[in-house]
Amino acid sequence: MSDTLAEPTEETAFLDLYKKFVEEKKPQSALRAIQEAALSRFETLGFPHSKHEMYTFVNTKNLSTTLFKTPSYSKELAEDNIASHIFPDCENSCLVFVNGVFNSSLSKLGAIEDSVKISSLLEKVDTDYVLSVLENENDVFACLANVFCEDTTVVEISDKTQVPVPIQALFISSGDTSAPIICSPKLIWKIGKLAELKVIEKSVGVRSGYFLNMTQDWRISEGAGVVLTQVQADPFDTWNFIKTRVHLKRDARFHSANASTGSVLVRHHFEGRLEEEGAELILNGVSVLGGRRLVHNFVRIHHEAPQCVSHQHFKNVVNDEGRSSFDGTVIVNQGAQLTNSNQLINNLMLSNKCHADNKPNLMIFADDVKCTHGATIGQIDDDQLFYLQTRGLSEKFAKELLTRGFAESIIQTIQFPEVVKELSSTLLKKLEVDNV
Amino acid sequence: MLEIKDLHAGVDGNEIVNGVTLSINKGEIHAIMGPNGSGKSTLAKVLSGHPAYEITAGKITFEGKDLLELDAEQRSIAGIFMGFQYPVEVPGVNNAEFLRMAHNARRVSAGEEEIDPLDFDELLSEKMKMLGMEKKYKERNLKDGFSGGEKKKNEILQMAILQPRLSILDETDSGLDIDALRIVSEGVNKLRSESNALILITHYQRLLDYIKPDFVHVLNKGKIIKSGDKSLALELESQGYDWVTSRN
Repeated sequence: MSDTLAEPTEETAFLDLYKKFVEEKKPQSALRAIQEAALSRFETLGFPHSKHEMYTFVNTKNLSTTLFKTPSYSKELAEDNIASHIFPDCENSCLVFVNGVFNSSLSKLGAIEDSVKISSLLEKVDTDYVLSVLENENDVFACLANVFCEDTTVVEISDKTQVPVPIQALFISSGDTSAPIICSPKLIWKIGKLAELKVIEKSVGVRSGYFLNMTQDWRISEGAGVVLTQVQADPFDTWNFIKTRVHLKRDARFHSANASTGSVLVRHHFEGRLEEEGAELILNGVSVLGGRRLVHNFVRIHHEAPQCVSHQHFKNVVNDEGRSSFDGTVIVNQGAQLTNSNQLINNLMLSNKCHADNKPNLMIFADDVKCTHGATIGQIDDDQLFYLQTRGLSEKFAKELLTRGFAESIIQTIQFPEVVKELSSTLLKKLEVDNV
Repeated sequence: MLEIKDLHAGVDGNEIVNGVTLSINKGEIHAIMGPNGSGKSTLAKVLSGHPAYEITAGKITFEGKDLLELDAEQRSIAGIFMGFQYPVEVPGVNNAEFLRMAHNARRVSAGEEEIDPLDFDELLSEKMKMLGMEKKYKERNLKDGFSGGEKKKNEILQMAILQPRLSILDETDSGLDIDALRIVSEGVNKLRSESNALILITHYQRLLDYIKPDFVHVLNKGKIIKSGDKSLALELESQGYDWVTSRN
């Protein structure tokens, strides 16, 4: 009789990595409780296969076959190296996360000291909220983010506070091309009643070889307003997963715009809950994908109260062998009367080998609502091209102008001129070199 | 300036222009009228270089150059302007920036330096004032959300900026109310000179009350069946197209 060894499963590598992580980092008990709960939920959900509803359009197989390691502090990420990634308006209001961990010495908070309170969840041992969320977490990778999270940064804005400058959250990863590192920043934003806040989040890397797996929760109180701009600018050979969960109370607003250049796999998971009357959620996104870059947006918006508004508009410029995918559902609960919701995805295809998948959905359980959804996939419009050529513009330039124009309509919704300027010179610059 | 000889052209194997011969000299205004489906807009598109239309026979020369050898961009640079019946919307492209790019394309091809943005703004303001256009049209995206009349005014604004030698205005009067028609026509008249020429394509005579043509041609089934002076347009107005088409 011989011993039988258990077949290694797709979960095994992450379970082994967690054992090493605990040995190395020796997390304190409050954090350990979160990690164990997340690990248990991860095991219950299991590593997703391609037929899993949430991952229909994304191939996660190479995540299970890659041997990750947990990060250590990288000395090369000193102040000089990160300065170029900080927007001018945020020089004194910048939270820096190095390899997923908040770094207080690199962060500059002078301009927001009086209006924003930044603390660690562990300082307050206030883990009930996180544990309750984990009980119902349906995203395997959000569970993994909690398993490997070294701390949770809590940003609190008190009632009626208008933060005078935009806050930037910079996620910078050192990367490791021999064994990719797994970086798991976690943020909880607590926005008080009638408070106003603008945030720019940017993810960058020194080199390839990392998996940025981030979760963030926005708890926005009555009458408060948040403007969030997310810029994804990671190198190609990286994974970037962000789960953004938004809870909106009465008359609260959350306006978000996301700009991505893609990577091996970028996945944005938005979960919006309009919990009380008059809440408003806007999600805009633009992706410019060349080479073999990929961006997947997974959106679930829950209208749970009457008179709420949600608008989504995503635009993708897809070239070469790039791939965009969108899976979005708006759920209008019973009783959420007079909901106003729309969802539109436009894809501009620039090559014969690029690919776009779209799955817009509506689930309506109320009878007095206004909801629309739609998706388009198309190429450069011949009539527009001819029109521009009759004004003396060359075919190449006219195509470039039309492509820029397609993306610009989302970029123009971004409220920060410096971000718009950067996107115009980096994101849209890609269009010029990607043989448009 | 423009010589069209026995031009035959069509799309997808259907011949729409069926032997047009026309000569246009500097300083002249020619109106081309005709019933719906007579080939007026196809002729305009062929002249401006639309790639979907195939020239099956004939010749077009513009200032001695073989026009059929030039693509749409080169024709524009050479001095031909097409005012579209249905100007397309180009979302995300700022109107003023687009006009400056088009203006610069012409300057660069002529070996001149690009215009200073402030100088261009001054030029644009002057031309917009001439057409009674509000400043807000500078900031908007190219025709995105413009009304029908605003789109047509914007076409004439482009004509004013580009200063072409030959302008082809395709149904510029359609969709304009009487006040907009007067303003657009006054703009076109101000742009007239001894060195440029104009082809007005129209279904109705009313545009010709404002812009007086030297010659009027009636196009039917892709062929010019009658030519005359401006009195021909008045006769067409009173007697209808049947008056000429039934006799040809």
